Amino acid sequence: MTAQYYYQPKSSSEAVELLYEHGPAVLLLAGGTLAMPLVNEGISKPEKVLSLRKAGLNTIQRNNGNMAIGSMTTLTQMVEQTEVPILQEAAQAIGGWAIRNMGTVGGNLFAPPPAGDFAVALLALGASVMLTSKRGKRTVALQDFYTGFLTTDLQEGEIVEQIQLPLPRGKTAYTKFGRRHANTPAVVTVAAHVLLDGGVVKEARLALNAVGPYPFRAKKAEAALVGSKLDAITIANASDIAMAEVEPFTDAVASEWYRRKMVPVIVRRALEKIAGGG
Amino acid sequence: MASRVVSFTLNGRPVEVIVKPLTTLQRVLREQLGYTATKSGCRQGGCGSCTVLVNGEPMLSCLLPADEIEGQVVMTLEGMTENGNLHPIQESFFEKFAIQCGYCTPGMIMVSKALLDHNPKPTRDEIIAAITGNYCRCTGYEPIIQAIADASQRLNGN
Repeated sequence: MTAQYYYQPKSSSEAVELLYEHGPAVLLLAGGTLAMPLVNEGISKPEKVLSLRKAGLNTIQRNNGNMAIGSMTTLTQMVEQTEVPILQEAAQAIGGWAIRNMGTVGGNLFAPPPAGDFAVALLALGASVMLTSKRGKRTVALQDFYTGFLTTDLQEGEIVEQIQLPLPRGKTAYTKFGRRHANTPAVVTVAAHVLLDGGVVKEARLALNAVGPYPFRAKKAEAALVGSKLDAITIANASDIAMAEVEPFTDAVASEWYRRKMVPVIVRRALEKIAGGG
Repeated sequence: MASRVVSFTLNGRPVEVIVKPLTTLQRVLREQLGYTATKSGCRQGGCGSCTVLVNGEPMLSCLLPADEIEGQVVMTLEGMTENGNLHPIQESFFEKFAIQCGYCTPGMIMVSKALLDHNPKPTRDEIIAAITGNYCRCTGYEPIIQAIADASQRLNGN
């Protein structure tokens, strides 16, 4: 079956109307950088396509110390904003220039590991996703949004409308480790947000990607940081704990063994960046 | 619904094509319009050989449904020459031996054009960053980097 219908809603309300009408078989298309390769290979053969590109969801809004990123905001737009440097770094770490001009923040949430290097930064910032359907809107913490490899809490008829996050109050670090310097899938990616109070860790979020079925937070390692000074011993301890929380896999980029070995190294480097004052 | 008419600007001229839903811009350019400078490499978004400029920004035509380019301004390598003369970027690629088999060249030149339009005097690092999405398996990249630096000088009147 070749595609017969290509819908281009002009708003999110029009989009969810169309999604309700045409059901789950419709292909939801954002930037196309994940979906179109499958179409080109003949793996995905949708009869109906619902493109969100023109639905007006590509704006970044700020109010009261929060940022709301429309799901169709491109990775290039995230590189160009300067308010949250870790999101610039994360966006810059993905693909090449043309991919960043097409790929979206909302779409990256659905990129299976080792892809998903933007979502991991959002996790470190404590982001939530606002989901919209004909039934209304609801907000889910991003860490609860993922339910497994290629599965999420997204219900039938829902689209991701916005990603919301508090502007970071603490220090952040983003360390992607791949086989090349740029345009590379990750061996492991670490994103961290640490709030220090008098040299002692008050709050910590440590998110990992490419070493599990979806981007996730290493909660035990986070707990090991809180209440301690961010010194070499604390960092080494948290890095080792993080290694025990991962479920790495083997692919063309790296073996399970190698990914596991690199977790404490990259976690340590990320935390050292934060401890170093940066 | 099936096919629809899509109107856009291609290399400065208005064109209209009849496309089936989800047909990529790459196929429209190569198969319907005969503009074969835009290459069909991996069709996965990995190689950059299909790069074209949409409203001046590099995009991968293999991942872009033609339905999306209604009313947009598209530029391919065919639009680079003026009055039959090579564009300065093309001359630099030619003179600096930045072309071997030539497969990556159209994509490389389009991304170079976008870079130099945005940033007329890029540093070496900025040049490297701009072409990271474009694979070349012949040159080892160094001649391409030098060609882009040379084109920058030509375009700035040196």
